[in-house]
Amino acid sequence: MSDVTLETLAETKKKEAYFTASQYELVWARFKKNRSALVAGSILLFFVLIGVFAEFVAPYEPTKAGFDRSYLNGPPQLPQFWDENGFSIRPFVHTYKQQRDKNFHLFFNVDRSLEKRRYVQFFVKGWEYKLIDTNIDLPGDALDFRLTFLSMDRHLFGVDKGKIHLFGSDRQKKDLFSRVVFAIRISLSIGAIGVFIAFVLALTIGGIAGYYGGWLDRIIQMFTDAVRVVPTIPLFMAMAAFVPPEWSSEARFFFISMILGLVGWPTLARRIRTHILAERTQDYILASQLCGAKAPHIIRRHLLPSFTSYIIVDLVISFPYMVLSETALSFVGLGLKDPVNSLGVLLQNVTDVDIMLNYQWYFIPLPIFVVIVMAFVFVGDGLRDAADPYSEKK
Amino acid sequence: MTQLLRFISVRFVTALVTLFMVSFIVFGLMELVPGNCAERYVAYKSTQGGGTITAADIRAEEQRMGLDRPFLVRWISWSYDIVAHGYLGESCLKRISVNQILKDKIWISFGICFAALFIAYMIAVPLGMLSSTIRNSSMDSSLRFISYLGLALPDFLVALIVMLIGTVYFGETLTGLFSAEYRDAVWSMAKLGDFLSHAWFPAFILGWSSTALQLQTVRALMSDEIEKLYVTAARARGISGAKLFFRYPARHALGPLVNSIGFDLNRIFNGLPIVATVLVLSEAGYVLLEALAISNDQQVAGAIIFLLTVAIVSLNFASDILLAVLDPRIRLGVT
Repeated sequence: MSDVTLETLAETKKKEAYFTASQYELVWARFKKNRSALVAGSILLFFVLIGVFAEFVAPYEPTKAGFDRSYLNGPPQLPQFWDENGFSIRPFVHTYKQQRDKNFHLFFNVDRSLEKRRYVQFFVKGWEYKLIDTNIDLPGDALDFRLTFLSMDRHLFGVDKGKIHLFGSDRQKKDLFSRVVFAIRISLSIGAIGVFIAFVLALTIGGIAGYYGGWLDRIIQMFTDAVRVVPTIPLFMAMAAFVPPEWSSEARFFFISMILGLVGWPTLARRIRTHILAERTQDYILASQLCGAKAPHIIRRHLLPSFTSYIIVDLVISFPYMVLSETALSFVGLGLKDPVNSLGVLLQNVTDVDIMLNYQWYFIPLPIFVVIVMAFVFVGDGLRDAADPYSEKK
Repeated sequence: MTQLLRFISVRFVTALVTLFMVSFIVFGLMELVPGNCAERYVAYKSTQGGGTITAADIRAEEQRMGLDRPFLVRWISWSYDIVAHGYLGESCLKRISVNQILKDKIWISFGICFAALFIAYMIAVPLGMLSSTIRNSSMDSSLRFISYLGLALPDFLVALIVMLIGTVYFGETLTGLFSAEYRDAVWSMAKLGDFLSHAWFPAFILGWSSTALQLQTVRALMSDEIEKLYVTAARARGISGAKLFFRYPARHALGPLVNSIGFDLNRIFNGLPIVATVLVLSEAGYVLLEALAISNDQQVAGAIIFLLTVAIVSLNFASDILLAVLDPRIRLGVT
């Protein structure tokens, strides 16, 4: 066989792969070409993994106050490889000792000597946790159950003696790094639940409006528009404010994510309606109707699969709004409260002048929030371009 | 002319229907929250004066407030009071009208929000137009980045960062709306001047998200418009420079922008209560937070949300009409 035919064979194969590729393969191929979206995607994946494996990543329990007795409002300790005593392959931190000066102000005395170095170690033993821990606590004793197994006590990193506080510690001597790790988990999961609720509502309302059309559509559209003009954050605040203070933190968590979803559906519903409205006049729908298929069946089997990729894009795009709203709510003290960590909760006290002047590491959750939302927006934008089959023809 | 009148009346009715629905939604939500006004008032009284709470007390208070009437009746009378008398109902905790609690605070809040809107457009429109004349991809991507930042770095975080920098490096927090000597003074030219000299900063921060997002929109709209044939035709006729730029593409590109003013006001209202807490704007949005969060007063909360929505709907109405006056194609769109 000559070289020419080999080349054309490879080319045909490539073409064949393109023409027979499923929709998701095509979307993925387009998404891969978008470098910034790809970078954002891996950053996002990184944070999601941190959230999922929070217990493993966090060296100390985030809710336990006074874990390190001698470290109140302590500064971040960055692992380093060398100091004036020489180089070390294993990174280390210095030992900080809290002391009071003659005015009784607290300050930290850094012991930089060689023997007081704390060497960073990986996969160390720490507090015990369960890999799977489901605790369902519904009203009524019969429904309570707790599912726990696979207990572990290894953590990603730690130091050989004493404690390490990568991001410093707060006024309750809690380790800020561990709190941030758990905050990422809570913020992401509250966004996920909110998006899910909003999605179900939007699918039902938008689906009905788009499929039936006519006067029903008009009324639903008016209602949707009315919900859309109400400014959401004041509305969230009004509703969250009435959560009884005696509610447990889990109940609060679910209530907050519920109202995020209850208020966040209109934009999504509108888009779903537009998709369905455009699709439902197609011939294949008519054929299915003539075969006697019922409306829910047509919506589920024919209409939804035709724009699943668009819906996924919409979900990714609406995710940061949920995270943002939760952060804003918690920030003013209306969302989650202290024992539960979320990025907003961590930022609650930072307007204090004392913190601004002396303990700037309280602001560490802020850039993390910005990076997470940024990553979401870039991924959402990249997905939107990738899901659009016409974006290639330029 | 009749076309325009017809357009205006259709839009007016739509706006009224929207407000009608909003009043239902807001009133309904305030109804859904746990506990009613009477319980709240009795509980509040007992913290003030002591004494025990009995079910009869609550019942009597419910009757006095008219809470024993069915939901629809109360909603209609609430809406009727607003439309007919501009009366927003009675506060749950203090037995005074909501109008009296909000008084000029709501006007200062509105004032600062509209100022924020104005500043946002004053920055975004000229800069966006200017950037559309520079046509390269690095400009594209940097403006896109800024517009994403408008979302990822919401205004209260910008306020936090600015405060942090101000406190650490300049020893000044840039908070508040008035200097100390004017805080309780009656309105005068001097107080107004003082207000303006302080207000620009919170207004800019409130408008930050809108500025960032609109900057990219203006650029995209202008870039689309510049490529169109009528612009080329005009250039072929020998028109050039600023005259070409402003008379042809700019006029058409800014149309869609007028439509988005309402959304931007919505965005600014969303930021207001939180920015107000960060920057200690006790005269403006803070009253919102106080009513919503601290006092747990559903009457005040409902009234505030309703007023904010009225402002947005009115602005939408006004911008629709402005657009119809400017662009005859819009008028024909409504049948």
